[in-house]
Amino acid sequence: MRWWAAVEILDDILTAGSRSADEVEVYLIEGRSVSAELKRSVVSRSIESRHFSLSIRIITGGRIGTSSTSNPADWRRCLEAAVASGKLATPQVWNGLPGPQSLGGPDLSWDPAVDPGAAAVQGMLEGMVEGAGRHPVQVTSGSATMSTGTVTIANSHGIGYSRNQSLVSASLETIRVNSTGYEFETSCSCDFDPASIGDRAGFLAASSVNGKDIPTGTYDVILSPLAAAQLISAVLVPALSGRNVHAGRSKLAGSLGMQVADGAISVYDDPLLPRGLGSTRWDAEGTPTRKIPFIRDGILGEFAYDLKTAYRHGAESTGSALRSGSGGLPAIGHHNMVIVGPETALMDEPAVYIQDVVGAHTANPLSGDFSVELTNPFNVRDGSYETPIRKAMIAGNVFDLLFRITGLGRDRRTIGSLILPSIRLKDQHIIGV
Amino acid sequence: MPGVRYYDIRHVQGQSTHIDIDNGVCESAASSFFDHAVIRALSRNGWGIITIDNFQELQEGEIATLVDRAASISAICGEDISLSPPLRGSVDVPPLEEDPRDVSLGEKTAILLDLERSARIPGIMNTRVNYIERFENVGFRDSTGYENRYEICRSGFGVMAVAARNGTLQMGYERRHTIRGLNIRHQQDLAREAAERALSLLDARPARGGTMRAVLDPELAGVFAHEAVGHASEADLVQEGNSVLAGKIGERIGNPVVTIVDDPSLPEFGFEPFDAEGSATGRTEIIRKGVLAGFLHSRETLAAVGNGRAGHARAMAGEPPLVRMSNTFIEAGESTRDEILAECGNGILLKGSRGGQVDPGRGVFQFNAEYGYLIEDGECTTMVRDVSLSGEILRTLFSIRLCGNEVRMHQGYCGKGGQSVPVSDGAPYTLLDDAVVGGSGDS
Repeated sequence: MRWWAAVEILDDILTAGSRSADEVEVYLIEGRSVSAELKRSVVSRSIESRHFSLSIRIITGGRIGTSSTSNPADWRRCLEAAVASGKLATPQVWNGLPGPQSLGGPDLSWDPAVDPGAAAVQGMLEGMVEGAGRHPVQVTSGSATMSTGTVTIANSHGIGYSRNQSLVSASLETIRVNSTGYEFETSCSCDFDPASIGDRAGFLAASSVNGKDIPTGTYDVILSPLAAAQLISAVLVPALSGRNVHAGRSKLAGSLGMQVADGAISVYDDPLLPRGLGSTRWDAEGTPTRKIPFIRDGILGEFAYDLKTAYRHGAESTGSALRSGSGGLPAIGHHNMVIVGPETALMDEPAVYIQDVVGAHTANPLSGDFSVELTNPFNVRDGSYETPIRKAMIAGNVFDLLFRITGLGRDRRTIGSLILPSIRLKDQHIIGV
Repeated sequence: MPGVRYYDIRHVQGQSTHIDIDNGVCESAASSFFDHAVIRALSRNGWGIITIDNFQELQEGEIATLVDRAASISAICGEDISLSPPLRGSVDVPPLEEDPRDVSLGEKTAILLDLERSARIPGIMNTRVNYIERFENVGFRDSTGYENRYEICRSGFGVMAVAARNGTLQMGYERRHTIRGLNIRHQQDLAREAAERALSLLDARPARGGTMRAVLDPELAGVFAHEAVGHASEADLVQEGNSVLAGKIGERIGNPVVTIVDDPSLPEFGFEPFDAEGSATGRTEIIRKGVLAGFLHSRETLAAVGNGRAGHARAMAGEPPLVRMSNTFIEAGESTRDEILAECGNGILLKGSRGGQVDPGRGVFQFNAEYGYLIEDGECTTMVRDVSLSGEILRTLFSIRLCGNEVRMHQGYCGKGGQSVPVSDGAPYTLLDDAVVGGSGDS
């Protein structure tokens, strides 16, 4: 089954589905990617992938049924499974799938110049190796990927949206003695310098050798964008989901209008950000997207909703549905979560700088408590890395940490679906020796 | 197929079923279908790999074209790769005690609704049950004409209960996954246990961070074996120079009480009848009585690194194989649980796991316990919560003083290189001297 043939069957699915359900929705993802991997400094694997995914959702009397398949030609079996699934779901208040709206404009997460090819990914790998070569380190592994794809949604109310997307990513791991370094970059264009990735990965490994022990105690800490993103993703992101809020699984439930972070901090989802990795004009249910001010100047303003959760609790969808659920189901997420506040130089005063953490996913998503190992920690002062720290842990609470922010850095970057700078915190508990 | 020294094709098709029950509501009960294949071709330059959906619809001529295409994209590679000789054979998949296909989606949903209800006791404000069942038909063939195939079902459930009091939230969680068929019947006690633990955790204190003696329960000690030793023994990392265990075969790296094994042929959750390269699976002793004895291998890493056996290559459907753990465990010692607590004297007992992570090149790992108890004079006293442990691979195995006399396995999923594969970890109760405990409290 080729792509254009797959698109042609959308009408067939909608027509057939409408015979056995009140409403029908089809979501189709098609893509291809080319990637290559390094083993030490040598390219060892070259990979080319093609991907199809078709999800069907039907709604009858407030009962929602779903199914998905990797084979569009198999849509009849998929539709039957969706109808069977709907018979088991608990019925709920349902006010309909969205109808069509004018959502014109260029694709936001798409660069037509991205043409996945072996030579291009090879060039990225070579660039990273060259950058790492500026430091006395060995490259252990690395990868570069270019992908393009098309997402299409159609429903029985007449929606028929389609968008192109592109993704370019590269990462490198290095080692010197027993000190490791890791750096990466992701964009919807080939607009980053692979040599800079290699240079930073090399710097981190080379500069972390001969670390000194640090006494257990309370310190000012600077979380790099990567370290901050790891902890925020594990705890704050699920707490902003309307489903978790109404189910009693969010510590932020009941806190709308209350201060939940330092007054200088704002957190919002910006789905319309040009060139954002998650940017889109419509969400995974066809709801138009908009900016969502989760936290404004420290005050909790809004939670994220998809249609199902919104209808159930008398709210409106915030356009926050993503296809991240099991079996291709829509689930609540965010598109580009941005953390902003006044940005300053963070490293002038003494602090413990933390490049990354080991084990952020083990944080308690409900209470926010975490205790994780530090990766590439340094004592910093006067604007520079002073001495590497050999080994230490940090223990604390992500919700508490939001009140202890004393500054944001000028190094804003994209980490997955988050866009954030370094964050300086006061009074953090470090477990050393 | 000019330039192709070897190729293989791994084709996985099947059906997965998910059921999600949240606070008495059946949020979804749905089945999905998949069909993925990976075609690997080895040329003098290295591996060229094609991954494709809907392989079953291809004709032989199209497959030959894909092999040629895989070989041609290897042109950018620069590694002349050797493979160890093929290791043929397979282990039979254990029969299903109750075939989930014989139970309707509706009946499974009803059983799960009852299970979820069992966790709803006073003080609990949210209960949730997730069920997953995945049938995979796996076919393997290579350029020597060798073919093999199997069908396996992995299924299981997780039950979560959330307790709340005065703005404090805590959760209890239990999961059971298996390759033996439907396992959701008669699990109400387990659901209640999760709920009771969530309530108890409301009164637990955060642990005090620092260096102390720690007793790990079998689940957590299994995660310890996985994070502290297992990953660093994966020979692709060794070959890359990204493991502190490189070059240390035959060296003592732990106390003689420590033997750590990975065995994909065991009928546990990480079971593989044969691996993702068609190799027969079997037992690898990574550490034998404190001495590093072997690495986990694919055919490529065995030829390049040596020490061990192939049969440890695993892959998600549609993804290229990687060297992975399967069923990893610390062998039983001779001590009873009570003897271990008595020997600990004063320290901390850590139970349950929320997972862990390792930096194998640096040799530092972290893993997290769901809860624990202070040990005072050999007795468990105050309950503590949110406790992590970290350690250094080359030091920490010397701190294992005692291993208990009964190994228990727990199921989970392990991530590496963007792929998640089913694993089991296990151990007996284990006593660690000088454990680095991360906690923010003063208990």
